[in-house]
Amino acid sequence: MKDLTKIEEMLLVAIWHLGEKAYGVKIRQYVSAVVGKELTYGHLYSALNQLVIKKYVTKSVGQTPAKRMGRPRIFYSISPAGVHALKAALELNEKLWSGISRLALEKKK
Amino acid sequence: MKRKNFPPRIPYWLIEFAAWYDDGFAALGDVCEEYYEIMESRGRTSAKLWFWKQCLRTFPFFISDFILWRTIMFKNYLKIALRNVKKQKGYAFINIAGLAIGMAACIMILLWVHDEMSYDTYHENADRIYRLTIDANLGSQMAAPVSMPPVGQAMVQEYPEVLQSARLTRPARYPVVVGDQEYFEEYVAFADGSVFDIFSFPFIEGDPKTALQTAYSAVITEDVAKKYFGSGDPIGKVIEFSEGTKYAVTGVVKNVPHNSHFTFNILRSMETRYAENRQLMENWMNVSLFTYLLLAEGADPKGLEEKLPDLVDKNLGAILKSIGGSIVLQLQPLKKIHLYSDFIADIGAQGDILYVYLFSGIALFVLIIACINFVNLSTARSSVRAQEVGMRKTLGAVRHRLVGQFLGESVLYSLFSLILAIGLILLAIPWFNAFLGRNLSLNIFEVPWLVPGFLGLAVLVGVSAGCYPAFFLSSFQPVRVLRGKQSARTQNIRFRRILVVLQFAISIVLIIGTMMVYKQLVYMKSKALGFDKEHVVVLPGLRDTMPTSYQTMRNEFIGLPGVINAGASSMVPGRGITRSVFQPEGYSQDQSQPMDYRSIDPHFLPTLGIAIVAGRNFSEDLATDRDESVIINETAAFQFGWQDPIGKQFILSPDQTDGEEETRLNVIGVAMDFHSMSLREKIEPMILFYDPEDYSTMAIRIAPSDVPKTLDLIRGKWKQLWPQRPFEYFFLDDVFDSQYRAEEQIGNLTLRFSLLAIFIGCLGLFGMASYTTEQRTKEVGIRKVLGASAGNIVRMLSREYIVLVAVGNLIAWPAAYFLMKTWLDNYAYRTSLAPWVFIAAAFLSLAVALLTVSYKSIKAALSDPADSLRYE
Repeated sequence: MKDLTKIEEMLLVAIWHLGEKAYGVKIRQYVSAVVGKELTYGHLYSALNQLVIKKYVTKSVGQTPAKRMGRPRIFYSISPAGVHALKAALELNEKLWSGISRLALEKKK
Repeated sequence: MKRKNFPPRIPYWLIEFAAWYDDGFAALGDVCEEYYEIMESRGRTSAKLWFWKQCLRTFPFFISDFILWRTIMFKNYLKIALRNVKKQKGYAFINIAGLAIGMAACIMILLWVHDEMSYDTYHENADRIYRLTIDANLGSQMAAPVSMPPVGQAMVQEYPEVLQSARLTRPARYPVVVGDQEYFEEYVAFADGSVFDIFSFPFIEGDPKTALQTAYSAVITEDVAKKYFGSGDPIGKVIEFSEGTKYAVTGVVKNVPHNSHFTFNILRSMETRYAENRQLMENWMNVSLFTYLLLAEGADPKGLEEKLPDLVDKNLGAILKSIGGSIVLQLQPLKKIHLYSDFIADIGAQGDILYVYLFSGIALFVLIIACINFVNLSTARSSVRAQEVGMRKTLGAVRHRLVGQFLGESVLYSLFSLILAIGLILLAIPWFNAFLGRNLSLNIFEVPWLVPGFLGLAVLVGVSAGCYPAFFLSSFQPVRVLRGKQSARTQNIRFRRILVVLQFAISIVLIIGTMMVYKQLVYMKSKALGFDKEHVVVLPGLRDTMPTSYQTMRNEFIGLPGVINAGASSMVPGRGITRSVFQPEGYSQDQSQPMDYRSIDPHFLPTLGIAIVAGRNFSEDLATDRDESVIINETAAFQFGWQDPIGKQFILSPDQTDGEEETRLNVIGVAMDFHSMSLREKIEPMILFYDPEDYSTMAIRIAPSDVPKTLDLIRGKWKQLWPQRPFEYFFLDDVFDSQYRAEEQIGNLTLRFSLLAIFIGCLGLFGMASYTTEQRTKEVGIRKVLGASAGNIVRMLSREYIVLVAVGNLIAWPAAYFLMKTWLDNYAYRTSLAPWVFIAAAFLSLAVALLTVSYKSIKAALSDPADSLRYE
C-alpha cells in the first residue's frame, strides 16, 4: 500500500463526503473551507493526479455547463483500494492520537 | 455570454498552455466555473483578481504535473516501441540495418565533404588572402594562376588596401645533399619571406620575420628536419642542391596541413633568384610565379580588381600595344582555390566542386532510399498497429499525441541506427581513407560539430522517415479499426508503389553512372595513344650535374641484354606539358600560335614507337638538325593548313632565343599525333626540338620477357655510371595511367555506394514482399487448391514488383542519360553512351528485384495449402 500525503488524505476525505458531486470546484471549495485557506487548482490537481496514479480514485466525465468554456466536469470516486487506504489512514490517525485529548493540549497552552 | 464577462485572457492562456495534459482541461473548466460564480456573488473585478491569483499560484504545480505526465506517457511509449521491436525482429532489423547503412554512408561522405570544404581555412587571414591570376591574350588565349614577379610588390606600393604580397614557385622534386647523404626531396619551392606574414605556418624554430629574407636561406618542415638532422639543431645547417648551391636552414615550421591547396617540404628564399638572375625577376613579361596578396580588413577585392588594368597599362602598355596583346589580372579568393580553380597547371593537385556536389547527392540519395524503406515498411505493417491506435483513441488519446508517439518511435529507431552506423563507420573508415588517400576520422575533438551533427541527423532522419507513417497511423478511425477494417488502404498502396519506383529509379541512375565511369576509364586506358606505353622504363631528373653525356649513358644502356632502345627527352608523356607561342610561316608575329614543345634526341620517337608520317626523324649526323630543324605533329600541320609541311618554317624572335636577330627553323618531319596528357585534354599542336641542353629524362624500351632481370642490369649500370645518385625509375604506363586516379576513385566510390543503395533498396523490397506474401497466404492456399501451379503463384506474387522496377527504369534512363552526358563532356576523348549500358542496368535491376522477391514468393508457392488455409 502506498502512503498518503496529508493533502491526498484530505482530498480522499473530501471526495468521500461529496459523494456523487465530487468534481474539481466542489472538492476545492470543500477542502478550502475545512482548512480555512484557499487551495489552488494547481495544488489540487497535482494531488488528485497522484491519487489517480496510486489508483485510489477513478475518474468519469460529466456534463459541460456553458460557464465551463467547453471543458467537461471530471467526477472522482473512491476505488476499493482508496477505501482501504482511507481506512488505514483513519486507523493510523486513531493510533497516533490515542491518549492525547484536546483538553490536555489546550491546557498546555 | 457577454464578451466583457470572459475570464481574463492572459491567465486563461497560461493555464491552457501549462495544463494540456489529460485533466488540464477539466481544471481550466473548474477555474472558469468558479470565476463565474464569484462574478455573480462579488462582481467582475474581484472575480478577475481571483482568476489572476489562481493562475499565478497554480502555475508551478501545473508545470511539475505536466512533466510528470509526460514521463509516464513516455515510459509507456518506450515500452510499446521496444515490445514492437521484439515482436517483429525481422522488420525491426531491416529498418534499423537499412537506416544504419544509409546513415553510415552519408556520414562518411559528409566527413569527406567537410574535409574538402576545410581547405585553407586554417589560415588566420584566410578571408583576406587572394591569389593573382591572369587571363592573357598574347597571340593566343591563356588563363593561368601565375603572374609576373614584380606585380605583387607594385600592388603593395600602389594600393593601400594591399598589405602584403608573397610569391611562390611551383613545388617540385629535387635531389639534395645533406652532409654526405643524397636525398630526393618532394615539394621544394622558392618563396618570399612574406609567405609567413600572409599564411599561418607556425614556426618551431627560427624567426618568421627574418627567415627566408636573405639569399641562399631555406625553411624546412619538421619532418624534413628530423629526416636530415635527427634530433640535432637544424638552424644554420647546410642543405646543398645539385646545381652546387648551398642553403642555410633559417627556420623549421610545422608540417603543412594536408588540407592546403599547396604544400612544401623545403622553401628556398626568393632572394636567391634575384641573386642569380635579377633581370628575369624584374621582367614584367615573365609570367611564372604564384603571387598571393593579403588585403586590409574590409578591403573590396572587386574594387581592387577594377584598378588593376591601370597597373598593367603603366608597366606593360607599350609592349602589349606592340604585339597587340592584352593581360587582365584577376583576384582569386584563397578559400575558393581548392574547389573552384580549374587551371591546367596549378600549384598542386586541386579538388573539384563538381565531385563535392556529386557525392553529396549520392549521400542524400542513399539516405532517401533508407528512409523510404522505413516509410514503406511502417505503412505496410500499419494493420499491426491499427488495433493499438484504435485502443488509444478510445481511451482518449488526441491525434497530435499519437503523431508524437509514432514520430518518437521512429526517432528511437534512428537513434539505434545511429549507434550501429557509428560502429560501421569505425570499421569502414580505414578502407575509405585508403583509397581516398585521406586521413578522415570520427574524432569529436577535431571536428566539434560531430556530436550535435549526429544527433541532428538522427532526429532529421527519424522525423522525415516517421512523418508519413505517423500521420497515416494516427488517422485511423477507432470504430473501423476495432471492427477489423483498415482505412485508406488503396491510397496507401499507391503511395508505397510510388516510393518503390523512386527507390529503384535512384538505384538505376547510380548503376548506369557507375558503368559509364568504368566504361570511360577502360576507354581511356586502352585507347591507342600514338605511342606504346608498355615496357618503357623512365629515368627522371637527369638534368644538372650528370657526370656523363646522354650519348654515353645511352650507349651503355643499349649494350645491356634485354634493352631494345633508349632515347633522351625533356619530358615523357604523362608528366605534364610545356607550352609557349610560336610563329609559323604565313602568320604575323602577333598571330603566334600556342604549341606544346619538348626536346628529344633522334632515338626518342623510335623508342616510344611514335611513327613519322612524313619527312624524316632527327639525325645525329647532320649538325644542322640541332639548330635549324624541328618536327611537328599532325595536329600542328592540320591546324596551320599545311598540305605539305616539310620545308615550312617557324620564325623565332630575338627574345625567344636570346640572340640578336630572328631565327628560322625548318620542319623536317611530321610525327604521328600522340597524347602527352590524359584523354581529358585534346591533342594540341606540338613542336619537337633537338636540343641536348634541355634533356632531363631517359626512356628505355626493354623486352617484355624477364623485366626484373633487365631492371637489375640497368640498376647495376647506373651504379657504375653515377654512384652518388640513388637509382630512380618508373614505368611509363604506370605514370600515364596515374593521371586517371581521380576517375578510378570516383568509379570505386560510385560503385560501392551504388551497391549500398541497391542493397538497402533490396532490404526494403524484401520486407515489403514478405509482408504482402504473408497477407496473401490464404489466397495462395485457395489458388493452389483450385489448381494453380507453383509457377503461376510465383508469377502472380512477383508481377507487381517487376512492373514497379520497369517504371523505375523508364524514369531513371533520361535522368542518367542527361547526367552522364554532362560528365562525359569534360573529356576531349570520350566513350559513347551506348544503349547496352541502359539495357544492362535494366536487366540487372530486374534480376536483383526478382531474386529478392522470389525468395518469399517461391516459399509461399511451394507451401502446403493445408497449412496456409489453416493460417490465422
